[in-house]
Amino acid sequence: MARSTSKDAQALFHSLRSAYVATPSSLKIIDLYVGFAVFTAIIQVVYMAFVGSFPFNSFLSGVLSCVGTAVLAVCLRIQVNKENKEFKDLPPERAFADFVLCNLVLHLVIMNFLG
Amino acid sequence: MVGKTEPVNGSVKQAAMPSSSSNPSRSDLLTSTFSLKSLKLKTKQQELLIRVSILCLVYILAFITRLFSVLRYESMIHEFDPYFNYRTTLFLTQKGFYEFWNWFDSESWYPLGRIIGGTLYPGLMVTAALIYWTLRLLRFAVHIREVCVLTAPFFASNTTLVAYFFGKEIWDSGAGLVAAALIAICPGYISRSVAGSYDNEGVAIFALLLTFYLFVKAVNTGSLAWALASAFGYFYMVSAWGGYVFIINLIPLYVLVLLITGRYSMRLYVAYNCMYVLGMLLAMQIRFVGFQHVQSGEHMAAMGVFFLMQVFYFLDWVKYMLSDTKMFQDFLRITVTCAVVAGAIALGVGTASGYISPWTGRFYSLLDPTYAKDHIPIIASVSEHQPTAWSSFMFDFHILLFLFPAGLYFCFKRLSDATIFIVMYGLTSMYFAGVMVRLILVATPAVCLISAIAVSATIKNLTSLIRTKSKTALTTSTKGSSGSKASSKASLDQSQPFQKNGAIALLFGAFYLLSRYVSHCTWVTSEAYSSPSIVLAARGAHGRVIFDDYREAYFWLRQNTPPDAKVMSWWDYGYQITAMGNRTVIVDNNTWNNTHIATVGRAMSSYEDEAYEIMRSLDVDYVLVVFGGVTGYSSDDINKFLWMVRIGGGVFPVIKEPDYLVNGEYRVDKGAAPKMLNCLMYKLSYYRFGELVTEYGKPSGYDRARGVEIGNKDIKLEYLEEAFTTSNWIVRIYKVKPPKNRW
Amino acid sequence: MVKLCVLIAAVSLLPILCLSFSPENPTDRRVLVLLDDLSLKSSHSIFFNSIKSRGFDVDFKLADDPKLSLQRYGQYLYDALILFSPSIDRFGGSLDLAGVLDFVDSGHDLILAADESASDLIRNIATECGVDFDEDSSAIVIDHKSYAVSETEGDHTLIVSGDFIQSDVILGSTKVEAPVLYKGIAHSVNAANSLVLKVLSASPSAYSANPSSKLSNPPLHSGSAISLVSVVQARNNARITITGSLDMFSNRLLRSGVQKAGDSNKYSKSGNEQFVTELSRWVFHERGHLKAVNLRHHKVGETDEPAIYRINDDLEFSVEIYEWSGKSWEPYVANDVQVQFYMMSPYVLKTLSTDQKGLYHTSFKVPDVYGVFQFKVEYQRLGYTGLSLSKQIPVRPFRHNEYERFIPTAFPYYGASFTTMAGFFIFSIVYLYNK
Repeated sequence: MARSTSKDAQALFHSLRSAYVATPSSLKIIDLYVGFAVFTAIIQVVYMAFVGSFPFNSFLSGVLSCVGTAVLAVCLRIQVNKENKEFKDLPPERAFADFVLCNLVLHLVIMNFLG
Repeated sequence: MVGKTEPVNGSVKQAAMPSSSSNPSRSDLLTSTFSLKSLKLKTKQQELLIRVSILCLVYILAFITRLFSVLRYESMIHEFDPYFNYRTTLFLTQKGFYEFWNWFDSESWYPLGRIIGGTLYPGLMVTAALIYWTLRLLRFAVHIREVCVLTAPFFASNTTLVAYFFGKEIWDSGAGLVAAALIAICPGYISRSVAGSYDNEGVAIFALLLTFYLFVKAVNTGSLAWALASAFGYFYMVSAWGGYVFIINLIPLYVLVLLITGRYSMRLYVAYNCMYVLGMLLAMQIRFVGFQHVQSGEHMAAMGVFFLMQVFYFLDWVKYMLSDTKMFQDFLRITVTCAVVAGAIALGVGTASGYISPWTGRFYSLLDPTYAKDHIPIIASVSEHQPTAWSSFMFDFHILLFLFPAGLYFCFKRLSDATIFIVMYGLTSMYFAGVMVRLILVATPAVCLISAIAVSATIKNLTSLIRTKSKTALTTSTKGSSGSKASSKASLDQSQPFQKNGAIALLFGAFYLLSRYVSHCTWVTSEAYSSPSIVLAARGAHGRVIFDDYREAYFWLRQNTPPDAKVMSWWDYGYQITAMGNRTVIVDNNTWNNTHIATVGRAMSSYEDEAYEIMRSLDVDYVLVVFGGVTGYSSDDINKFLWMVRIGGGVFPVIKEPDYLVNGEYRVDKGAAPKMLNCLMYKLSYYRFGELVTEYGKPSGYDRARGVEIGNKDIKLEYLEEAFTTSNWIVRIYKVKPPKNRW
Repeated sequence: MVKLCVLIAAVSLLPILCLSFSPENPTDRRVLVLLDDLSLKSSHSIFFNSIKSRGFDVDFKLADDPKLSLQRYGQYLYDALILFSPSIDRFGGSLDLAGVLDFVDSGHDLILAADESASDLIRNIATECGVDFDEDSSAIVIDHKSYAVSETEGDHTLIVSGDFIQSDVILGSTKVEAPVLYKGIAHSVNAANSLVLKVLSASPSAYSANPSSKLSNPPLHSGSAISLVSVVQARNNARITITGSLDMFSNRLLRSGVQKAGDSNKYSKSGNEQFVTELSRWVFHERGHLKAVNLRHHKVGETDEPAIYRINDDLEFSVEIYEWSGKSWEPYVANDVQVQFYMMSPYVLKTLSTDQKGLYHTSFKVPDVYGVFQFKVEYQRLGYTGLSLSKQIPVRPFRHNEYERFIPTAFPYYGASFTTMAGFFIFSIVYLYNK
């Protein structure tokens, strides 16, 4: 039973990997950025679990800046991905401009909230 | 030949001439009266002109219909809460934003003080201050009070514009126009946005509708810019009113419904995520809200849906990447179970450890309407928090009440992301409107929009029925030549005028209904919602009589008491005393400290000597009571007295409600309970009243508000002395005597 | 020449006018004495002369004098009142019970002496001050164990008492050696009144009854509960002395020797003279009168008084207390003056330290609670005037920019935010220029 599930898991992993290789490089850059942001967020949560949440606003602003920018990058990926039929009318420059604007607002608010 | 043709042509022309000779005269008239044709506008431009002019008229109408009280009385602030808002706005304009943000007020809730900067919703004040500074920049030297009085009508006009755009987004521009017109005069909205009612809701409804419109637009277009705009709209709403909790729960519910019914799309992901993260971050900048978005039970739904969406779309992406469905099913199973278990554990641990605070009483009483009456008497005592009667619905909505289900039907016929949203908004807000009278305000935009859909769709169908008459006549003439459809032609011919007449009759009916709606709304606005509660009016023998007792009393306080005098009164009047009388009060309308209010309630319900001890411990110098026995004013302190007893008794078991009742009945005449006849509130209200004759033919000491002769006419005060009674005895102020010198 | 004399006389009167009662000079100056008959002027002359010799203007009037009035055009004409008219039923002129009480309530002093002929008016004045005379109008204090040995009076109504209140302020620093002779009616202090004190109590064997009739019921007033001389210090620091014996002030008892029955000590002079003189000194504010001035507070390092404090501020508080010595203000020295920082209950309670020159000061930290506080100095000591000072000051919480910044434990969060920003910047460059 365990062997079959591990074999399933391996097969799953392989097929995912092969499908992923096919994605265009611009999307891969976005994915890398998202991964970096999520990783930073997880580090902060682990740190908070050890130290406690004393300056809670700093903790929240740190975590939310990572999560926020990750989410915005995912939105960018969705809009720029040529396989999404809904967004085929959207010029990628417009999508990127929206992304930059949202990130600007995000980081300005983070700066105010950081304390 | 040629000569013959010419006359033929001429005759043809001449033949054509008479038929068209009548037309030039008519068209001359038309061109002279209808400049549209002379301007040679295309249909699209004509339509735009009509729409813009209608919107302008609706904008002006929404503003004008709210000005009744300004015309009848004067430009002043109404009610109780707006006086606090006015005072804070005044402070903001005088001292600047940073002083306002850090304001610690030592003049209310003596001696505890109140951190005003951290316990109010600043949106309204900042809005009014910005308008004031803009006008000053343009060299209009207006007083801040005028700006405050007219802020609510101005934002009501802006709400009509937003309603137009929202209607256009959901259905079409016709529905938008009707929605704008309906919401401009709907009494449910007018009740809280009349000129002078300078309260949070005046601005908050605008912010609410704006947020919803921007969010629906974001879901429809899938653009990050619109989602960012809706986050800013949400920020404005959070800064304006505590009812933002409705938004932060409705939108996740909507997303959940879309996910469950399978109508989700990528646009939804973009819209919700951007709005949630940015909106939450912006909302946490307001001091009063603080960390509630991550710590309070009322906001957990949004966070839960956020995480659910991540999982959902991640699974969607994996499914897209994998070609093999079986593998995906296994993956799905594992992931979903993990996610659900993790979520449940997190929620359970959070709630059990108390980190996630449970639903606060204010909002819990919406889910369980009986909760407040048993546990939180302060919330139950406010008249706006009572459950709604059918008459209130009819009064505030009129024909919209039956147009609402009709609109729901139309929405279900043409389901899209936007119509699902408006249906959910309408249904949830109608439920809450049924629980609490005050929340009819939140339901009003939804009801107006859905009714507008019904009206617009119906009228569109009816007018298209009338207009298709000429087209069907042509088709029947071509079909008539085939002959086989002679019978159908006959039936069509017969049903045509019937349909057309029916349509015309129904159109007239619809217009009649709408005109009745307009007259009802205007009547309601004029009679019911335009009274400033601070100035009372009554019909006397020679016209209208005005009672300006409240302001008389507050100005007396302002001019005849030492600047550091402390005034004790029931919490209703606290804001007005600080704003107009400029004196320190013990409790006010913010009601944040129940024990302090209960102390005041206990003092009012005790005998005079016990009350004197309590008043000495609070450093009280003056006591203010409101008494309606001479004028018949029924919102006075004796009618509110049982709430003082209940709230006081809730904290101090010495005060027992049955002591003040006789057989469960609340009486003030001879048969009243002895504790009632000698408590401080009774003595202060009826001091010297026993000598007064209030009505011809009735004995002295006849209380016109309760309709009885009072029981204790010979009242002697030992520790207080009467300082001031207004001209109609509505407000009475007493001074607390210092302790006896030789005793 | 005559005009010059008049002018000089008028000018010389000015300082006398300036010496009249004022807060800067609390000793009374003008005393009105109301008498039943003018023979009291001579029969109590030692007492009156002792008052006059201390610089008082004593004005004698009959109690039913129709021109009697305590005030004119709203100003009081006298600073103290001595009522030696026990049998008067109605005062003459414009004076009545309410007038006497208003006189006391506006800060002036009163000495009231009654005897067995005390009228209802005098009894009512005493009741309003918290002292209840025996309702039986024929009852006198009788003591069969502590009476004065004498040839003339044998019904033991002339009694002897040495049961003084322990207070140097009221009775002077010199102990009264000889006991006091007393002949008069009894009174008791009202238990509900917290301001009245018994200065001279009767001995446990005294009782109040009619000496010429048999006792049918146990007497209502007996034992040490009977007070012979009581004082009241009102909340506005007016001082009242009430006693049931007019004879205690008389020359006869002041000069006579005293021997208590059953006691071999024989004193050549009774303690009456010392007792009544010291008591009158206290009543007329020559002793035990305090004033507190210059209540100041400021933040440590500043000198101005701020309008509002912040929580966790350090502040300094100081007040000056002086005592009137009869001629000038002397610094008051004590080690038990306390200040409270009070908001419905004292958050800080500190004993003030003195520099022996009348300045009391201390410093403390404002508590961590915001609200409207008061600096309260409540100083009530037996015989001294009560000091009840309070000054209101609000205390505010931190402003938004007064919280601590750059907290070390939060450095990872700061770092994360900045690296995210940098990452966004790098990402956008890389993304834009990616082929």
